[in-house]
Amino acid sequence: MSEKPTIEAYLKNIEEGHFKAYKCVDCGMIIAPPSGSCYGCGSSNMKWAEVSGKGKLVSFTVIHVAPDQFAEEAPYYVAIVELAEGTRVSARLLGFDPLKPEQVRLGINLKLDYEKGKSGATYLAFKPA
Amino acid sequence: MNNTNIVSAAQTKFGALTGVTLREIFSEAVDKATIHAGIPKKDIQAAFIGSFIPEMLVHQGHTAPLLLDFAGLKGIPATRHEDACASGATALRAAIMAIESGLYDTVLVAGVEKMTSVSTSKVTEALAAAADDQFESSIGLTFPGVFAIAAVAHMQKYGTTEEDMALVAVKAHKNAATNPLAQFQKEITLEKAMTPRYVAWPLKLFDCSPISDGAAALVLTSNEKAKKYTDLPVKITGTGQASASMNLCDRSDLTSFSASVDASRQAYKMAGLKPKDMDFAVVHDCFTIAEIIASEDIGFFKPGEGAKAVRDGITALDGDKPINPMGGLKAVGHPVGATGVKQAVVIYRELIGDAGPNQVANHDTALMHNFGGTGATCVVNIMRRADL
Repeated sequence: MSEKPTIEAYLKNIEEGHFKAYKCVDCGMIIAPPSGSCYGCGSSNMKWAEVSGKGKLVSFTVIHVAPDQFAEEAPYYVAIVELAEGTRVSARLLGFDPLKPEQVRLGINLKLDYEKGKSGATYLAFKPA
Repeated sequence: MNNTNIVSAAQTKFGALTGVTLREIFSEAVDKATIHAGIPKKDIQAAFIGSFIPEMLVHQGHTAPLLLDFAGLKGIPATRHEDACASGATALRAAIMAIESGLYDTVLVAGVEKMTSVSTSKVTEALAAAADDQFESSIGLTFPGVFAIAAVAHMQKYGTTEEDMALVAVKAHKNAATNPLAQFQKEITLEKAMTPRYVAWPLKLFDCSPISDGAAALVLTSNEKAKKYTDLPVKITGTGQASASMNLCDRSDLTSFSASVDASRQAYKMAGLKPKDMDFAVVHDCFTIAEIIASEDIGFFKPGEGAKAVRDGITALDGDKPINPMGGLKAVGHPVGATGVKQAVVIYRELIGDAGPNQVANHDTALMHNFGGTGATCVVNIMRRADL
């Protein structure tokens, strides 16, 4: 946990099902996805932070027309999720019928999950808490 | 800022232009804006070119000298500007700065893209390069998806509906029906615009701008030289540019694009004008929701009232605040690097009273708004007829 965070390690953590955020050493702000400088104080001094895995749904879409590498997975949800720690991430949204997006309510509580895509990659994902 | 004039402006037909290559499309726009407008090419001292991603679309890099050589402008300084869908407007802004600095008197601004010579999936891949590859594209978020997420947030916060967005498409197609340079010269009904062929829910096929080829060009010159070329120059009196996070998740408000708000404020301040002083606007309607949000971000309407303005016909060609009077990206087409330059062509033609059946009633002062990618770059320019 003490090494300086890198984007490569951030993505590898998701791939291995152990998401971690960045944390600003100087002001304590939690940051994800990675940024080279803190949104709060501008510091570039970062370390890793474990997160609670709790979040809220900010907005979403259902992708019907997907790039080739995701075509077999469509339709699928992509959401903006605000973590309990304050930062927002883009992630897959699980647990809802992609053909019934009207049933999804913004603001609902979510918890961290992962989705193994047909492409073989693991995506950061959230499901209803 | 008081020394930059547009003295000539032209575009090619937009659409699937078969049988012509990137440099031929470019050259056609340049000829229309120079020799066909009575401006000798030898008067052009430098060129500023917008083009997004010819490397992937036509396998050609280092395009600026290549394009200029073919267009008969070999030798002069030539630079390409790349800021995704805002490439044309950032090229224009560089040209404005070059004239205002006194470095040049007369320059060319041109934008071009050739998108239909590769498959749709290749175009999708190329466009996706304008979003954050590591954190958003990699989970399958697409460009329509980005604007769909903004639409869902706008619908939740303000009650905007899918029908409101469809009405933007209906208006775009209506205006483009009388624009012979448009990709789609055909009106559509509200029912057709609402056809539930989802691209990224809630955005449907008719909410999205098409894949297009095309080019546009402008000649800019100083006050001293302007009258040599035309009796009716158009002055650029304010310009603004701003950037924002590429990632949607790094933005605190998904119902507004901060770069649009910031660039607009800069341009209004520089021009000493306010939104109420604008007779009309040309905004970046890559998706229907983008026009609604842009109309709010440029200050024409309060946040959340953009959809009502469309419903009430305020943004129609004959409304109080026409937006995209010649059909916008949605119906005229969106050859990415050409778009920002084409928007200035539309404003020039409207301001000098040369827009034919698409002429707006009041045409003294107008605003153009061009943004790139997920809204991470925005350029806003304010233009005014020089005889005022």
